[in-house]
Amino acid sequence: MTSDFDPAHSAEAALAALRARGFEQVQVTVSESHRQELNLAHNEPSLLRSTASRRLAATGIVGGRRASADGNDLSAAGIAAFIESLWSAAGSAPVDDANAVSTAQAANFARGPREADPAQLASALRHLLEWRAANAPAMMIEEGLAAHVRSRMHTLTHSPAGAGSVIAADLGWYELSVFGLAREDGQTSSFNFAGGTADDLTDAPTLFGIDRMMRDLVQQVRTQPLGERFVGDVVLAPGAVDDLISWLMEQLGDGPLIDGSSIYRERVGQRVASPLLTLQSRWDAPGCVPLSGDAFVTPPTTLLDAGVLTQLMPSFYGSRKTGLPHRPVAAQGWELRGGRTPLAEIVAGVRRGALVDRLSMGSPAPNGDFSGVIKNSFRIDSGEVGAALAETMISGNVARMLHEVRAVSRERIDRGIQALPWLCIGGLHFS
Amino acid sequence: MSPTASHLETRHHELRKMRMLMVDGNLTGNQRSVQAGVSARAYRGGYWGFASAPAGAAEVQARVREQALRNAAAMAGFGARTALALPGEHDRGEQRRQGRTPLSAAECGERMAALHAYCMKQYPGLRSTRVMLTDEAHVKRLQTDAGADSLARIQRAAVYVVLVGEDEEGAPIELTEIVSGLGSLADIDWSLATLAPRLDVLHGHLQAKRHAVAARGGEQQVVLSADLTGMLAHEAMGHPCEADAVLSGAVTADLRGKRVASELITMMDLAHHWDGRELMCPVYADDEGTPARDVTMIERGVLRDFMHSRETAARLGLEPSGNARAYGPDDEPLVRMRNTAVLPGTSSLQELIEGVDEGYLLLDTSNGQADATTEFMFGVNLGYEIRGGRLGRAIRDTTLSGSALKVLRDVDGVGREMKWSCNGYCGKKQPMVVSVGGPALRTRAHLGGQ
Repeated sequence: MTSDFDPAHSAEAALAALRARGFEQVQVTVSESHRQELNLAHNEPSLLRSTASRRLAATGIVGGRRASADGNDLSAAGIAAFIESLWSAAGSAPVDDANAVSTAQAANFARGPREADPAQLASALRHLLEWRAANAPAMMIEEGLAAHVRSRMHTLTHSPAGAGSVIAADLGWYELSVFGLAREDGQTSSFNFAGGTADDLTDAPTLFGIDRMMRDLVQQVRTQPLGERFVGDVVLAPGAVDDLISWLMEQLGDGPLIDGSSIYRERVGQRVASPLLTLQSRWDAPGCVPLSGDAFVTPPTTLLDAGVLTQLMPSFYGSRKTGLPHRPVAAQGWELRGGRTPLAEIVAGVRRGALVDRLSMGSPAPNGDFSGVIKNSFRIDSGEVGAALAETMISGNVARMLHEVRAVSRERIDRGIQALPWLCIGGLHFS
Repeated sequence: MSPTASHLETRHHELRKMRMLMVDGNLTGNQRSVQAGVSARAYRGGYWGFASAPAGAAEVQARVREQALRNAAAMAGFGARTALALPGEHDRGEQRRQGRTPLSAAECGERMAALHAYCMKQYPGLRSTRVMLTDEAHVKRLQTDAGADSLARIQRAAVYVVLVGEDEEGAPIELTEIVSGLGSLADIDWSLATLAPRLDVLHGHLQAKRHAVAARGGEQQVVLSADLTGMLAHEAMGHPCEADAVLSGAVTADLRGKRVASELITMMDLAHHWDGRELMCPVYADDEGTPARDVTMIERGVLRDFMHSRETAARLGLEPSGNARAYGPDDEPLVRMRNTAVLPGTSSLQELIEGVDEGYLLLDTSNGQADATTEFMFGVNLGYEIRGGRLGRAIRDTTLSGSALKVLRDVDGVGREMKWSCNGYCGKKQPMVVSVGGPALRTRAHLGGQ
């Protein structure tokens, strides 16, 4: 998949035009991506998609007033209209001295398979379908896909505060995902999903826990309600662990830091989670790049070091607004370090509780309180995994759950953009 | 028109979006985007091919059509297949632009600042405010090789005002007032004069929430506000009535013609009008060129019909309903809802509350999810106890869950006041703009708690 389009040339032209219009600080990104995607529907190959897209994204600041825009009309007339729209939006914004763009960032990333291999996409889906037919025939793949993505981007900044940033990336990666349910004798399981990014798909369907998810769904067709209330343990699978991590990250970001609702604002250097938890970046994973959205190169980081919070995650704007230190992080690419205990041993140690694959819940409150339905889950009694559960809720507090992690599994599911283990957490209210 | 074993559609699609976010008077988000593209989708030999590219030079349309045809042909590598005969008419029509001149960025910013200033002056003790504006407009020109030629427009706008306070222990609590509707921000009424009394009510709820108590966990009698009913209609019964979900084995597959809800319940996915008014997400022809019609999913408690694309209709031997919709220029049409609602009954909200000896009034929801089993979950961020038919203390954030089939069977009262909203997105491979509507309902469901 090749293209004559030159993102660097377009970015330079757009930057020059924005400066000529009068913007004092500018960030420009021009990108082009191509996607080849094979789709399954209802256990059958259904669709081949080829999409090409281009994008011009810019932030302009004039007199402390800021606006951002993106569009895909890169013709001269399109860029002229784009700049006028940005100028108008910025001119009417309030003055805010915290507005600024990055300076002196320089990087050029090239990673992953840049050329799509259609045979590999077709082979991955064939293996998925064959595995399903042999091992989980009750499984219905409602949507499945194998895709290759090639993305090229070029980012430039201009600021009187320092040298402009020049950042380029040329990435390629594959994606594989399955969404569906199992059905037998007129009964249906809950749906579930597994998927991720990789440099190749030769290991389908074992990639990203897809095989485990499909096999478990077949066991979840017949469910039982819990039938009682108790306080017990949960063994959260990686998909549910992601909900905890996502809530933590949200609390460390701009919104809660600026409006003061984050309970972690004054907690850097303190233990905010179990010493069993170490959460670190993996910006070099397939589909990831060590760049923040506001054009900073992001150094590797260990966000939780044996439960100790090492930094907050404000953007450059958020940092200038709050006075908090700026240590940029990328949009995605995180892993929780695996533990020493096999998953089977963790489950065997649970007296009463549930093995939980998916949490269906509203956004936890700013203080971490939540209640949610546990989906695709099995009851655990005296260390034995029992029946799949229906209509069962748990309630607790996410911040407290992070503290009360009792065990971390040796096994992890590596989804490329994220690698997470199973966690055992006590003190949840079941109803 | 006779069903055909091939199909080729071409779509020119422009999507414009605007989002502004003001946190405590600081404009932290001020974003606009325009995406214009051409796509084509071909059905040949029982397989689909799709291609898209940015709009621009004249040859783009021809190029994506050829690519879509090549992609469909390449799928034959998975084996020969008998093509379905795709049913349905092909619409020819044009949806004209309506509405007022859009607000300028300056006008939007001034009105956001005025709302922030009003809240901080009027409600001492607030920790923070957030004001967010969104405006999204789609224009689609759709042509099929069988003769469809339609121009469709959907534009919606929403204003969110979030009040953040503290509870008795100093923990943050927040509530949101939302105004949403058809058209641009100039077409919906979010003037300070209109919003002020609504914000006064919201602030009253926030004060009550300062002293909120935990709800009792387990099955409870609940009165759902119109907002929750709309969510229930969409999430819990709407998704399982999408025909692609039915083909995948949703529990609704075996329930057509059977009683699934109280006789008080009629639920529809409406194409473009209800009660003489154009709805917030009007679809006159879908993105396959099918003229859109209303779908009655539940009629007086009996499951009647599903929402269809041409392909799902062919597979089930039924007629397409105009529910094949694509979100962006790079997206292929999927079976999606449009304006989904439970139709109103005869009770007032007060009558519904008075009929509850011990239970809860649930007023606002943060989000919702549902399942092919019809099991659903809504986050509830505003509710009150009901004791002896009267409202009591506010409750802390909780979660409502249950099987929609059981919850709808247990309905013993339906409100007469209908409310529509169209903020947020439906998620299913692609996002989608939809609206939801409904009256208040009284039923039984499971509340999260200790």
